[in-house]
Amino acid sequence: MDLIIGGAYQGKLDLAKDKYDLEDSDIYFCTEESCIEFGKKCLYHAEEFSLWCVRNGMEATELLDKHKEEWKDSLFICEDIFCGVVPIGEDMRAWREMTGRMCAYLSSKAKNVCRVFCGLEQKLK
Amino acid sequence: MNIFISGGSKNGKSSFGQDIAVRLSKKGKLYYVATMIPYDDEDRVRIARHIENRSGMGFETIEVGRNISSIFERADEAGTFLVDSTTALLLNEMFPESYEAEADPTAVTRCIEGLLEVANRAGNAVFVSDYIYSDAARYDSFTESYRRSLASIDRVLAQKCDVVIEASVGNRIIHKGKTIYEKMF
Repeated sequence: MDLIIGGAYQGKLDLAKDKYDLEDSDIYFCTEESCIEFGKKCLYHAEEFSLWCVRNGMEATELLDKHKEEWKDSLFICEDIFCGVVPIGEDMRAWREMTGRMCAYLSSKAKNVCRVFCGLEQKLK
Repeated sequence: MNIFISGGSKNGKSSFGQDIAVRLSKKGKLYYVATMIPYDDEDRVRIARHIENRSGMGFETIEVGRNISSIFERADEAGTFLVDSTTALLLNEMFPESYEAEADPTAVTRCIEGLLEVANRAGNAVFVSDYIYSDAARYDSFTESYRRSLASIDRVLAQKCDVVIEASVGNRIIHKGKTIYEKMF
């Protein structure tokens, strides 16, 4: 499993398409409306999955851990929403922290981790 | 030589930019391209602080809020230009009349074309932007479109420039052109 993180609109998906030779059908767009399909090749906007977890009283890390056999060869792409200021709303605060925990967990399991800055890749692991 | 600098607020982007521009200019002309159009006292204080910071460094200031490539009508192309910042330029191009009006959808293209012209024609150019992409917030559509637009300008400039630097609490992370950067210092 690999992990790509970075700010909004930095070109994370473009880099992923380039590096991992992804077809459009390989990409799963996570939303706050539903749980993810753990076995997809590329899980894009993983931070939306953690928002779904917050809204449904789940812990993203625990849920991922239960399904780890399914995504062990996947690519996760996550926005680093945990770098900004602490938001006022309770949900948004929980979301920020859960996404931070989720990325730390994914990073510990990942073979490769990189950050995208203005379209450029920065290797972290 | 073209350099792109971004990073968080008050992380040292402008002073790095000034430092680098001075080094690049050798004995040639050195221009500070000021893109902020002041709207209130807070802006005026910020501008005064920047002017104070760069006094004695040899910069000639060119104020240009829009149509960035028009700087060449007032400056020696062979010189070194510090463009501070693309963030203010985009805001001015998006709202030519007032912030109450609709954002001009052609602003991004104009900014990109103008900034690329600066990169292509200037002896040296240093571009300063702002990194505003890592927040746990749901923004309104206006803010979101501004963030998306600035990011697309950043990415074009990062691709175009020889060196890309992220300023992080006074430190520099070199994302591109490490060898060139090290030769400068």
